[in-house]
Order: sequence, then C-alpha cells, then structure tokens
Amino acid sequence: MTDNQKQEYAADESTDDPTTDDMAIRTDVSESVSASGPTTSGAPVVRAENVDVWYNDDQALQDISLEIPENQVTAMIGPSGCGKSTFLRCINRMNDMIDAARVEGDLHLRGKNVYDDDVDPVALRRRVGMVFQSPNPFPKSIYDNVAYGLKIQNKDGDYDEIVENSLKRAALWDEVKDQLDTSGLDLSGGQQQRLCIARAIAPDPEVILMDEPASALDPVATSKIEDLISELAEEYTVVIVTHNMQQAARISNKTAVFLTGGELVEFDDTEKIFENPDSQRVEDYITGKFG
Amino acid sequence: MATERGTIESFGHVSRTAGTVFRYLLLAATLFGIVALTVLLIYVANDAIRPLTADPGWHLTFLLTLVLPTLAVGAYLFRTDPASFRFGGAIVGTLAVSTMFAGGVAMLFVDIVEPVTWFAYVLALCLALGGVVVIERLDRRLPFLVRFVAAGVIVLVSLLVVPGAVTSLPVYPSDGVLLTLSVGAPIALVVGRYVAAADGRRRRVAAVVATLVVVGLGAFVGPLVGVTPVPATVVLAVAVVPTGGYAIGRIRRNPERRAGLGLAAVILGGTVVGAVAVDALGFAGPQSWVDWGFLTSAHSGTAANAGLYPAIGGSILLMVTVAALSFPLGVGAAVYLEEYAPDNRLTRFIDVNISNLAGVPSVVYGLLGLGVFVTYLGQSTGTVLIGGATLALLILPIVIISAREALRSVPDSMRQASYGMGATRWQTIKNVVLPRAFPGILTGTILALGRAIGETAPLIMIGAPNVLFSLPTALSSKVSAMPLQVYAWASLFASEPFYQAAVPAGVVVLLIVLLSMNSIAIVLRNKYQSDQ
Repeated sequence: MTDNQKQEYAADESTDDPTTDDMAIRTDVSESVSASGPTTSGAPVVRAENVDVWYNDDQALQDISLEIPENQVTAMIGPSGCGKSTFLRCINRMNDMIDAARVEGDLHLRGKNVYDDDVDPVALRRRVGMVFQSPNPFPKSIYDNVAYGLKIQNKDGDYDEIVENSLKRAALWDEVKDQLDTSGLDLSGGQQQRLCIARAIAPDPEVILMDEPASALDPVATSKIEDLISELAEEYTVVIVTHNMQQAARISNKTAVFLTGGELVEFDDTEKIFENPDSQRVEDYITGKFG
Repeated sequence: MATERGTIESFGHVSRTAGTVFRYLLLAATLFGIVALTVLLIYVANDAIRPLTADPGWHLTFLLTLVLPTLAVGAYLFRTDPASFRFGGAIVGTLAVSTMFAGGVAMLFVDIVEPVTWFAYVLALCLALGGVVVIERLDRRLPFLVRFVAAGVIVLVSLLVVPGAVTSLPVYPSDGVLLTLSVGAPIALVVGRYVAAADGRRRRVAAVVATLVVVGLGAFVGPLVGVTPVPATVVLAVAVVPTGGYAIGRIRRNPERRAGLGLAAVILGGTVVGAVAVDALGFAGPQSWVDWGFLTSAHSGTAANAGLYPAIGGSILLMVTVAALSFPLGVGAAVYLEEYAPDNRLTRFIDVNISNLAGVPSVVYGLLGLGVFVTYLGQSTGTVLIGGATLALLILPIVIISAREALRSVPDSMRQASYGMGATRWQTIKNVVLPRAFPGILTGTILALGRAIGETAPLIMIGAPNVLFSLPTALSSKVSAMPLQVYAWASLFASEPFYQAAVPAGVVVLLIVLLSMNSIAIVLRNKYQSDQ
C-alpha cells in the first residue's frame, strides 16, 4: 500500500490549497446550515467546468458546468439516460473503470482538478464516499464492513470508536450494536443501505456521492434514508442522484436538472427549481408533462 | 367484434397426446442413466462385498440392532422433524467421510512421512508465517519492497534451516506428542476460530485446549483398544474432533435439532452392538473381498491375498501433488483472466483454447507428460512427481474454467463498492472477490481432483508400474494408483479369481473414494449457496 501512499492524492502537497483550512473548521460551521436554508457559503467543494463525457462516439454529457456547495445536499434529477449518474461517477472517476468512457473538461474537488495527470484515481476515491443504487454490503461482518475503508487505507486510530461513531451517524448503531460480528448480508434492505452509508462515511470523506440510494427500498426504509441524508448534510457535502422528484424536493438544498441528451438545463436552489423554474422544459418535466 | 356473440356452451378440448408422450420419453431418458448406474453399482458391490455369504444369523442380528431401529427412528424423525433428520444424517455422513480421510492421512504418517519430519516442516512453516506477520505488524510504514525482501528472507531461512535442525536433534518426543502438536494444533486453531465467531473470544481458549487434550489422549487410549498411537491420534484429530465440533456447534445454535443426535446415536450404537452381538453369538459375516487385509496388503499372486495398499497410498500422494500443482496455477490463471486481462484478441484466443484443452483425451496428456518430463527433462519414468504433474496438466483447464465460473458469480456491485471505497484492484481481489469466490473454487477443484483420481491412461503412458509392493516414500519414487492396479488385475493377471475378487473390490474402493470426494464438493457448494 505504500506505493499508493507515495502517490497520495496530489492536493495534499500543494500549499496554496484551501483544503486544510476548510477541514479544520468544518465541524464549527456545520451547525449553522440547515436542510432548508439554501445559503451558499465559502468555496464550492466540487466545481465542474465544461465537462463532456463520451461513451465511444455517443456523447453522454454536454458541457456541464456547476458548483456544488459545502455541507449541503445537492440533488441531480432527470429522466433515465440523461447522464446524471455519469456526472456523479465523474467526481470520483469511477468512469475510469469503463474502457469506452472518455472525459473532457475540468472537475475540481476542493480546488484540485481530479482529471490532472498527477491524480491517482484510487487515492482520489479514498477522499470521496459513494453509496450505490442497491445496497451492496460486503459478505463480511457488520464491523468489518464499516472498517473496510480504514483497513485498506491503513489508517491509524481506534477502529472500534470510528466504527461506532459511523454507525451512530448512519442511524444504525442501536439496531446492530449487539451483533457487530454477524454478516452484513443478514440485515434488511434498508439496514443494509444504512450500513453502506456508514461504510462510506467511516474514512471521513470530503464529499458523499449517492446514486439513487433509496430506489431499491420500500417507503419506510426510504424515509429513514431521507432523514439520514438531511442529518448527514450537517457534517458532509452530499450529492445525490434521484429519479424521484418529490425526494429531491424534500431533502435537497440545490437541484440540478439534466434532460435528455446529457445537458444540464437548470441548476439552482431547490425551491426555485420546483416553484419557479426559468426554463419551460424544466417546468414541463417537473409537472410531469414530459419525461 | 365480440358484440353479437351469445353465451358459450363449451370451450372445446385441445389434444395433449403428443406432449404427454414426449414428457414420458424424456422421463425415460432421464431415468435411464440413473438406473444404469444403480444396476452397475449393485452388481459390482455384490461381487466385491458378497453379502449373501454371511450367516442368516448375522443378517438377522444387524437387522434387529441396526436396520430396524434406524428405520423406525429415521421414519419418525423424517415425518415430525425433517431438520433434525438431516442433522443426524449429516453427523453420520461427516463421521464416515472424515474417518476415511483420516485413514488416508494415517497412512501418510505410518509409511510415507516420519511424524518428526512432518513436525519439523510444520514448525518451519509456522516460524516463516509468524515472521511475516510480525514484519507486517511491526512497521507498516517501511517501504513495501523492504518488507517483501525481509519476509522472503525469513521464509527461506526458516524453511531451509529449521527442518534439518529439528530432525537432527538427538532426542525428540514420541510420535503421538509430535502429531498432537503438528496435526492437532492447526485443527484446534480452526475450531477455536469458529468458537470465537459463535461464542466470543473467551470460549476460544477453552475450545483450543479441549481439542488438544482430546487429540493428545489418542496416544494413550489407542493402544488400549488395539490401535497404535499414530493412527489413533490422526483419527481423533481429523475425524472425531471435526465431527464432534460440528455436532456441538450445531446443537448450540439450534438446540431444537438435538433429536438428530438420537438418530446418529442409534446408527452408531446399533453398529457397535451388532458387531459385539455377532461376535458373541458366533455368526460369520460376509466373506467380503473388501476387507482389512485387502486395504492393507500389497498385490499377491493369489487373488484372495491381493491388496490395494500401495495403490491407495500412491493415489493419495498423486492427489496431494496434483492439488499442490494445479490449484495455484489454475486459480492464478483464472484470477488473471477474470480480473486483470484486457478484452483483446490474445485473451479471447487463450479463452477458446482453455476450453479446447479441457476436451483433449487423457491419453494425449499422458503422451505429453512422457514427452516433456521423461524424454525432454530426463526424469525417470513413473514417479510421483511426473505422474502428479501430468495429471495436474490434465485437470488444469477444468480447474481454470470452474474457478472462473466462481469468480464470475461474485456480483459486480461488490467490486464497485470496493473500488468506490478507494481500494486498489489487488485489495479488492484479496478482500472481496477471492473470499466470496473461494467455496466455488474449492468445489470445482475437488470435482476436478475426482476426475484425476480415476485416470488410468496418462499413468500408463508415463510408465507408472502396474504392480508395486510398497508405498512410494518420496516424490521420485515409482507410483501406482488405484485405477492402474485394477487395470493390471483385469489385464495382466486376467484369470477367473482376479475377475471375481480383486477387480470388483478395487472398483468398489475407488468408487467409494470418488463418490465421497464428490459428495464433499456438493455439500460445500450447497452450504455456501444457502449462505449467500
């Protein structure tokens, strides 16, 4: 692992980077931001500039530029195939796994372009948490699931304490504290997804990406996940892709609307998007006339 | 259209005659294979075991002590409590298969490897592994290369120096103690691991100590019932402790299944009581060709005295060699092809050719073994090493294909989750993919070994001797194998007594070994399929 540590995510070394200061005061500013107050403060965590993505010759994203603010929930909505998940996967370079995918443009995470040549995508992903569409805990114990990120990164610290805190933040601790040794696969679907969220936040990431995290769950489990996301936004920057417009309206501060063809049609405060969008296409989509 | 239609009197009838005929033809085709196999097995088993030569009193005694009680208890449990019924069956099955396995292992220590040599190598391996773990723990910040080299040096030094040093000691403990430490201790650690996972860490120590004590008792209790210390220790370690551990662990988790213990007790107790009873009453058992003498003596000019012992030992040694060669190579190739290889022409070419290799007749592999190992590399013919290497080549494609199947069945979402956490490919394979695919890989490998154990043609081609009077003791010793010995009896010593006695007995032993290997594979597969 030392070979990776050597090439640690390049932002660590640049001295003029705002990262270190932001991280130090993160817990202090967190309380002032609530889930309903669309106040943009400080430098954006993620800033995309003219991002284009192709799968072979098909363009999946066209010229996307947006800024994702800190400690807020930013939702990406749009019809199937509009490229919202593709954009999410650009942020932690999971698209690198697909041979056919090609990304152009700049995508900054806390001021560092993640597509720079000196960025190791593995090191980048250690700073970004990701939660997938269907719950995918490892066939390991609950404890080992949450500690996975810490173990592969050789992190120092009291793993027991970090596991407990992560499970508490994921609102799962009370349900599993007596069965940390049992397999994560024995949990219900909603619990599994909260376990995946605990696993994602355990290494303390800069941003948490969620790709339709509730679409495979029943309504009760979905509402728990939604409550949890709102709470997580007090400490973390959350980017969530969802099919469900009501969900976006309920939990997000900012909303980006992608429409067919991979273009970002509108990006603004959630209230504005849902009450008074600038674009007629967005209004049609949101009121169900299209898409 | 449906406006002017009245009520319907009848919907009419559609003929299913052709379909019914087709269905029963298919059923007949399905049953044909099973019926043919059953007839063959009964026929051979009858020739080998000859149950009709026993006294009627013998049959009557076992009917009363074993068959009827088992049927009664079994039928009752099967109706009222199927889970307990299966549990009881599983205990008896585990005991039977593991006792057979223990027999093979005991053979290894009685005639092939001195317990002290084995102990020395186990000790060396433990020191090597311990050294590596210590290096890993001491300072993970040392550069990878430094740790790698240091670990390599420790492994090499301990493997090269320790065995020689231990075996040249002037005095060492008795065989029983050595085996308790070198066979019992690893099993005790495995038991401890399971206990720790189920009951917490505190009980682990108790479980480890209990296992060691039980295994250690073998050396003292064995001689009292006429078994020498080495086999007694091995049977306790490899058969009794795992079966007992399985039964106790299950009961602790599902106490409602303890009725299954009753079934197991009826079967085992019935066997013992029956054996004592026929002995006391003087009833003669069947004059089976598969008896203790057959299993423990070598070939002889007279069919009644001929035995399979060197061939069984040869098969065991061949299996160990084949597994040691084909498992790392096959799994390595499978992991590369599934997880690393880019999708290009070369990979597809390799893909197709692995499938082709799986279909190449075994006699061709024999020829390859002869050409490469004997003619080209100058090895002497018919040794354990080149026999094992040839059979390993033979099953390598099967191991690769089944291991790839197992790796492919790991859901991609698990890999995605791991990569999403910032794991490297190596970490993902090591921590997520391989643990999950391991049961499938193991199942495929056992089935492939089952194919290797029944092969005759490659062994003939590489010049394995037809008849061998002692067990091979080194990789460079000549080796025979069970199917080869049976073939020799059927061809070289073709005479009525051999056809009637030695051949069916050899076939039955071979089939029992093969079927129990397959049943282990199937049980493993079912267990892990239901777990996931």
